[in-house]
Amino acid sequence: MTAAIKPETAPYLEAFRSQEGNADEPDWLLDRRAAALKQFAALGFPTRRQEPWRFTNLAPLAGAVFPPVPRPEPATHRLLLEPYLVGGAAHRIVLIDGYVVPELSPIGRLPKGVWLGSTARALAERPDLAEAGFDERDASSAQPFAALNGAFFGDGFVLALAPGAVLEAPVEIIHVGRAGAHSLHPRSAVIAGAGSRAMLVETFCGGGAGWTNGVLRIELGADASLDHVRVQDEALDAIHFGATRARLARGARYEGFTLTTGARLSRQDVHVAIEGEGARCGVNGAYLLRGEQEATTATVIDHAAIGGTTREVFKGVIEDRAHGVFLGRIAVRPGADKTDAHQLNRNLLLSPRAAVDTKPELEILADDVKCSHGATVGDLDEAALFYLRSRGIDEVAARRMLIEAFAADAIEGAVPVGELRVHLRRRLGVWLEQRGSS
Amino acid sequence: MATMLDIKNLHARVGEGADAKEILRGIDLTVGAGEVHAIMGPNGSGKSTLAGVLAGRPGYTVTEGEVLYEGRDLLGLAAEERARHGIFLAFQYPVEIPGVNNMYFLRAALNAVRKSRGENELDAGQFLKAVRTKLKLLDIGEDLLQRAVNVGFSGGEKKRNEIFQMAMLEPKLAILDETDSGLDIDALRVVATGVNRLRDPARSIVLITHYQRLLEYIEPDRVHVLGGGKILQSGDKTLALELEKRGYAHLGSAA
Repeated sequence: MTAAIKPETAPYLEAFRSQEGNADEPDWLLDRRAAALKQFAALGFPTRRQEPWRFTNLAPLAGAVFPPVPRPEPATHRLLLEPYLVGGAAHRIVLIDGYVVPELSPIGRLPKGVWLGSTARALAERPDLAEAGFDERDASSAQPFAALNGAFFGDGFVLALAPGAVLEAPVEIIHVGRAGAHSLHPRSAVIAGAGSRAMLVETFCGGGAGWTNGVLRIELGADASLDHVRVQDEALDAIHFGATRARLARGARYEGFTLTTGARLSRQDVHVAIEGEGARCGVNGAYLLRGEQEATTATVIDHAAIGGTTREVFKGVIEDRAHGVFLGRIAVRPGADKTDAHQLNRNLLLSPRAAVDTKPELEILADDVKCSHGATVGDLDEAALFYLRSRGIDEVAARRMLIEAFAADAIEGAVPVGELRVHLRRRLGVWLEQRGSS
Repeated sequence: MATMLDIKNLHARVGEGADAKEILRGIDLTVGAGEVHAIMGPNGSGKSTLAGVLAGRPGYTVTEGEVLYEGRDLLGLAAEERARHGIFLAFQYPVEIPGVNNMYFLRAALNAVRKSRGENELDAGQFLKAVRTKLKLLDIGEDLLQRAVNVGFSGGEKKRNEIFQMAMLEPKLAILDETDSGLDIDALRVVATGVNRLRDPARSIVLITHYQRLLEYIEPDRVHVLGGGKILQSGDKTLALELEKRGYAHLGSAA
């Protein structure tokens, strides 16, 4: 092992050796942690010579060491969660620095066949769920930071639905980061049996300047359905990595939307595997960046089965000296005939020093497919701006109106659930307010 | 009669640097309060440039002359300030704005104008009431209101939407830039009826048009013929009929 260790991983290997508290874990988990650590040590941090990381500046991460955060003390101050809550009935879990805080987590009544709780509790009570959710034998462990998460994770959430179980109210997961120069590695799973249905709203917020490195695995059985909203609004000096990996069986439906407004450096990787006939996914989102924020959205949709559908639209609003990156790959494997996949990335650059790199990619190895992709980069429409001003609306308000319309269009066109749309529009409104006042 | 608009020796060009092109070459025009003036002329005569300069459209540079609106300098004002002072441009090509709801847009516009006049802003209920009143006045249905601004509107719907906005904003000086272009006879009649119902002793209207047809429905007090960036001829409504018979070519050679 020694020969294969990349130097930048050494502090994390050291931290792993010196940490306590995992000793009572089952052997399979200890084995997986060790294997994941070994993988991370061999892979090291990605470099810009690797294509998927070409545009992502990892200097803030490489320039410091972020030891894993110790299990935090219970919250002693009030958390301002209200602006992040969907409103109405919800099954809520709040994590602070990556650990579930039961007293802040009103899970509520769950219908028969639904299990919702912390990853730690799943490991203790339902190792079957935990093991299914943390299978590391697939390709996701090839991503070094996902491997690091596998070695270090302390907690997270698990949502499991028995076949046919339906959860009407959304499951609301709020990750609050408070740690300074530490890393947090929440690891979570959604395991949805055949024909089950749920809504999941994940929010990352808080004032900590740490490094969040989360992993979420989603397994959708035949005809299962998940609506998934992910809001990343971490502090502007935080680092945020998040990997979502979903596998869809026959006829399953995944509808994801991510709103990225936070963190100095962020990257979200979304991987969806269409493994069963006729499965469909929506992978959509918006990234709204200002100041010196850098945000990468990297998606891979892998069509391995016949008749799958993908709808993917990401919109970026980038101003000041911020930098957005969109890497979107749709692969249609041999035999995945009649795949219907469309991808679009549109960007609005609002200042001369704002930048975006966009790389939509289609790889089609099947027949009789309907696939398209496209990318645009532009400024606000001058004609529209004048039209609004000619009616008495001042320039600042007119620009705001057009920016809101641009971003809201991503939400309206992609989020089928009304209450989730309203929630996202409200978050967009908050961003526009902050933008106006900064 | 009070003077609403007074244009004196107006020169303007479009574009910048080596590409700049002088379009207006000394326009003189006075419009009294409550008057309807028609400005006619062939393509390229400067009609739309004049409308753009009056409304504050970016891309034009005034090189000479002045424009007084209610006795005050107009050209120093931003487009939104002109609108708030009561100037309204009905666009030849109304702009499609995806994602901005027509009602939301119009309420923001109306409240911006009202606020600058020192009037209270309208809440959603008051606004809706005002909308219904104007729709009735203009014989326009509510179908356009819940859609994004001009998106997917037919040519006639776009022009009706312009006239509806004009009715809501109640300008003192309305400039209608080829509002008749691209309309069939029924749509033209709807638009013209709307304009006629908005005629008011305190409201001046400048109709810019290529064809005499619109003037059969909206009777002007004065008709001006624009050619080569200047007013070539002015007269009463009979001038429009004469143009219809003899065409612009005749005037062009006289210029």
